[in-house]
Amino acid sequence: MAAADIRITAEPIDTQRCKFVLSVPVLAGGVRRFSTPDEAKGSPLAEAIFAIPGLAVSELIVSGNIITVVKQSPAPWQAVGRAVGDAIRSTVTADVPAVASAPRPASGDPSAVNDDALYERVAKVFDEQVNPMVARHGGRVELIDVQDAVVMLRMGGGCQGCGMADVTLRQGIEGMLAQLVPAVRGIVDITDHTSGANPYFQASKK
Amino acid sequence: MLPTTTYRTAAFVEAARQIGVELTVASEKASTLEAANPAGLLTLDFEQPERAADAVRVFAQQYPINGVVGVDDRTALVAAAVATKLQLKGNPVHAAVAASDKYLQRELLAKATVPIPRFVLRNLEEDPATIAKSISYPCVLKPVRLSASRGVIRVDNAQSFVTAHARLRAILADPETAAACGDRARQYLIEEFIPGYEVALEGLVVNRRLHVLAIFDKPDPLDGPFFEETIYVTPSSVPAGLQSAIKDCADRAVRALGIVDGPVHAELRYNERGPWLIELAARPIGGRCSAVLRFGDKGVSLEEIIVRHALGMPIPSLQRERLAAGVMMIPIPGAGTLQEVSGIDAAKAVPLIEDVQITAHPGERLVPFPEGSRYPGFIFARGETPAVVETALREAHSKLRFTLLPPQPPASAAAPNPP
Repeated sequence: MAAADIRITAEPIDTQRCKFVLSVPVLAGGVRRFSTPDEAKGSPLAEAIFAIPGLAVSELIVSGNIITVVKQSPAPWQAVGRAVGDAIRSTVTADVPAVASAPRPASGDPSAVNDDALYERVAKVFDEQVNPMVARHGGRVELIDVQDAVVMLRMGGGCQGCGMADVTLRQGIEGMLAQLVPAVRGIVDITDHTSGANPYFQASKK
Repeated sequence: MLPTTTYRTAAFVEAARQIGVELTVASEKASTLEAANPAGLLTLDFEQPERAADAVRVFAQQYPINGVVGVDDRTALVAAAVATKLQLKGNPVHAAVAASDKYLQRELLAKATVPIPRFVLRNLEEDPATIAKSISYPCVLKPVRLSASRGVIRVDNAQSFVTAHARLRAILADPETAAACGDRARQYLIEEFIPGYEVALEGLVVNRRLHVLAIFDKPDPLDGPFFEETIYVTPSSVPAGLQSAIKDCADRAVRALGIVDGPVHAELRYNERGPWLIELAARPIGGRCSAVLRFGDKGVSLEEIIVRHALGMPIPSLQRERLAAGVMMIPIPGAGTLQEVSGIDAAKAVPLIEDVQITAHPGERLVPFPEGSRYPGFIFARGETPAVVETALREAHSKLRFTLLPPQPPASAAAPNPP
């Protein structure tokens, strides 16, 4: 595939975080999260993004066709987005996989065991509590993965693109997890909210 | 207080997280997760501010409240009622009422000799043909309690007055709209049309003193017949002396309405006779437009400033960043059902464009002004000068293509003729 064939849409979440939505999948069937250049080693895409001068990347999350970049640099996304786009194009079109599979945990690795255990507990909360509740507004919340105690989720149905999705996430789900699975360190929403075709609540100008 | 129709949910939730504030979100419709987080989610009847304030007082006995923020005209009123009841920082109720009621506002501004267009309040039931003979043209018809220029129509003669009156009457007949207008649903304003250049002023009132956060130019002429807004760009290119007069005009309006604390958004025009106050609201700028505002070295958001002010926390800076910034409220491309928006990537690739957010979703019915007021999206740009920002916004907009299905004819028109 040629680099020009890949369409990338940058969706800044705030000054620090931006989602890059690709027209092709980067990592099918899972999530990889990188928080240091060392962790990025072996995954050309992550290595290239961590190596962008002055960007000061603190976190990179890859799932399906979405790459979420968290940076510490104050530079606006408009100024640095192209460099990220170039890094994505050059590595996604290379012969080697852009993102390596998650390393198999060494036996006895306590963090890996914890993530697996957390996954089970978070999945149970989603299945038994969160989803029955959000289903009343035609929504659903999918647990994508847990890495380093950070939960990655995707919202669908009435939640996707909903004007109150952030409230559901931060005031609802985050609070429930803090209470029921206190070992969870954070939540990352990897939903492409702009594609929501049937949001439950819609905004108007004022 | 975040109504389910606001665009500002993410910005306020994020601002609270940034400064480590425990947040209770109150909305007019229940969150499905309210039972799971009773301290963080609350449902209030925004149509009944006093009842809502009573509910918050009871809530606060279990979950203490230290500050309250409303984000639009309706919740600004409820926030004032809550602030009064709980003795929190905020506006008195009478000030919030005056800011959200165009007639009361004009009465107070006229008394305080703030320059405003001449105006008169009329009932929809009065014969429009008779009124049309008794007024001066051009003039503007306005609903008393709608915002975002919804239902606002300029008329230039008696014939167009009667047509506009019928259109406004139909808008106000919609039950949801009528509910939003309350006891003003059967009334409207006829206002002198003020020719001139329009600007918007974003401010924060701190203990009765207005601090100007930004003055936005609106480079597209707003001469009617409808008043759909497009581009806001700051800093303003208006000469400094005139900016000072604009600020003084807004300051006098703030004092005339009795606003003492919190965000204000004012729209003013100026011409050879000086500045004119067109509207003033006790709330921040609407839509997603606040995303263009950043303050101080760290680029603090407008929402963070508002939350900090409500809680009496230090505000790092009220000085907007050095760069020029602008936003385009993407014009409603026509009436119909949105099928697809193309050209978004090309629009984002225009130099200086920071983001293009399409907020309308496929399948959504787009309704042009004056009946509608929901923009299909927003374009944001930042650059060295207002001129290059404005150019970038226009270029990005030119890349977008909206595909609409034409509106369905009314059922009666579509029905076959009876045999």
